[in-house]
Amino acid sequence: MTTTSAEGLGVPMEAAHAAPRSRPQAYMNPYLAGIGLGLVLLASFVLVGRGLGASGAFNSVIAWGVHAVAPEHAKSNEFMAGYLGDGSQSPLKSWLLFEVIGVFAGAMFSGLLAGRAKVMTEKGPRVSVRTRLAMAFAGGVLMAFGAAFARGCTSGQALTGGALLNLGSWAFMMMVFAGAYAVANFLRWEWR
Amino acid sequence: MMAPFFKYGMFGDETSLVVAFLIGIGFGFFLERAGFGSARKLVSQFYLNDLAVFKVMFTAIVTAMLGVTYLGWIGWLDLSLVYLVPTYLMPQIVGGLILGVGFVVGGYCPGTSVAATATGRIDGLVYVVGIFAGMFAFAEMYPLVKGFYLSGAGVAMTIPGTFDVPYGVVVFAVVLMAVGGFYGAGLLEKKFATAAGE
Amino acid sequence: MRNRMSTLTLNQKLALAAVLLGAIALFAAPYPGSRVTLDAKELALAVAKEADHVEAPELAAWIIESRADYRLIDLRSEAEYAQYHIPTAVNVPMGNLTDAGLGRQETLVLYSDGGIHSAQAWMLLKAQGYKGVYMLKGGLEEWKDRVVFPVLADNPTSEQRSGDERLRSVSTFFGGQPRSASAVSAGGGGMPGMAMPTAPALPKVTAPPSPAGGAKPGPAKKKEGC
Repeated sequence: MTTTSAEGLGVPMEAAHAAPRSRPQAYMNPYLAGIGLGLVLLASFVLVGRGLGASGAFNSVIAWGVHAVAPEHAKSNEFMAGYLGDGSQSPLKSWLLFEVIGVFAGAMFSGLLAGRAKVMTEKGPRVSVRTRLAMAFAGGVLMAFGAAFARGCTSGQALTGGALLNLGSWAFMMMVFAGAYAVANFLRWEWR
Repeated sequence: MMAPFFKYGMFGDETSLVVAFLIGIGFGFFLERAGFGSARKLVSQFYLNDLAVFKVMFTAIVTAMLGVTYLGWIGWLDLSLVYLVPTYLMPQIVGGLILGVGFVVGGYCPGTSVAATATGRIDGLVYVVGIFAGMFAFAEMYPLVKGFYLSGAGVAMTIPGTFDVPYGVVVFAVVLMAVGGFYGAGLLEKKFATAAGE
Repeated sequence: MRNRMSTLTLNQKLALAAVLLGAIALFAAPYPGSRVTLDAKELALAVAKEADHVEAPELAAWIIESRADYRLIDLRSEAEYAQYHIPTAVNVPMGNLTDAGLGRQETLVLYSDGGIHSAQAWMLLKAQGYKGVYMLKGGLEEWKDRVVFPVLADNPTSEQRSGDERLRSVSTFFGGQPRSASAVSAGGGGMPGMAMPTAPALPKVTAPPSPAGGAKPGPAKKKEGC
């Protein structure tokens, strides 16, 4: 079987002949999805003069949360203080945070529409759910450090900076692929 | 036409938050459409049997890149007003490597983890919690890493500007590289196709 | 040719379109550069309506009130700025004006020694689309003359007295002192050399923190990253 099989398109075998809405739909042609994504990114440039992002929103929430519980500690922490500003505005009033909430909504909408929304754990066949979830947590922690140093993640740096021919963003992007390919073989047990 | 509209004062901060939400919806919609709410599909990129990540990412980059190039060229978009994240080369290189590792370990990146959570993936939710934990840890450790964090030029740098190559030449080169990459991706996918079509 | 085109798959058509657009883009120059278009009528009107400047006493009042909704820009050289500058002013020498990262929606008050450089800078910034630019009328000369070393009548009337008191306190606030009218008309009483007021004399104003390297303006704005 090749990747053109129904399984490869994300559609369970028995769903291949069923009515679309009640069964998971095949994914969109990646090039068309890419064009859609690119147009959204372009709209962001034209409307607001900035690109997309994700990791920064997490920082704002952390700054707000720590400030709510221990304000002095938050203000004295140089990294968090940057997201608190002079205190005149809540860190939750962040363009990125609203955008990320939109990402949540948009993805949910698309998933429900395509019948792909399902409470489940994505994992390879050889690994247990518990182990997979532990790895997911670890991945998130690593991601946070990576995004913090790089001033962004794949959406803010790779997509946005890529389109704007930003030097640091392209370097970042290449390193992401390099790092991922470097460890893929060692993590085969998790996914294959 | 005076774009970016926000930078020319056509709407205020409050409206821009609404715009952010709407743009986010578009972003999340296409991420899920492409299948990026699924960790298995995402990591398939790194096992070479499904290179959708590369295809979607670079198609998006080429689309937006051509868009800003043309709009800037005809004067409809003032490209100098579009925010360019400053370049901190070493932290971005190291950050990229860490992110790449985290991608295969966790199965998502921050944006896709939100999309995954929105479509019910428990591992996506746990990943998001991991990001919060990691960001908090980073903030607490900030004094230790500050030196490295701030190393680098700290100014916005573009590839055409840094290497003194005409902007259009770089644009064309990126397009060629992407289209060539798409062709190569097709070949790789055929070669590494797995039995289960993962 | 038509047959050939129709046998191409969607993906191949997209690839072709991309390469075509990329090839045309070879000649693109998307960054606007430093060429501007001037709306002469609009600018002339702004000058005629006197919507282009701020008077020295007005500015003095803003500083005393610790207003943070504008930025004061000193257009002179670094050396001149170091020797004396109006408190809360940020130094942006003329040459760096376009690179300074000033916001197009910000309220900016420009000053130089007299009025020439600030008028030129005003014109340049307005032409580039900055909406809130104003000159300090009379520049530093008028600042010294009306704010720091105001001329007070020797025998003020009762009405003049309260006004004089205000001028006196403003002048002291900025580390100066009033001059007497008779001394000035006698040909003497020239303004003392302007040295940067020493620390105790310097007014304690909460200046908007000057941004590092001309980045995001105004009071410490919270960063958002990406």
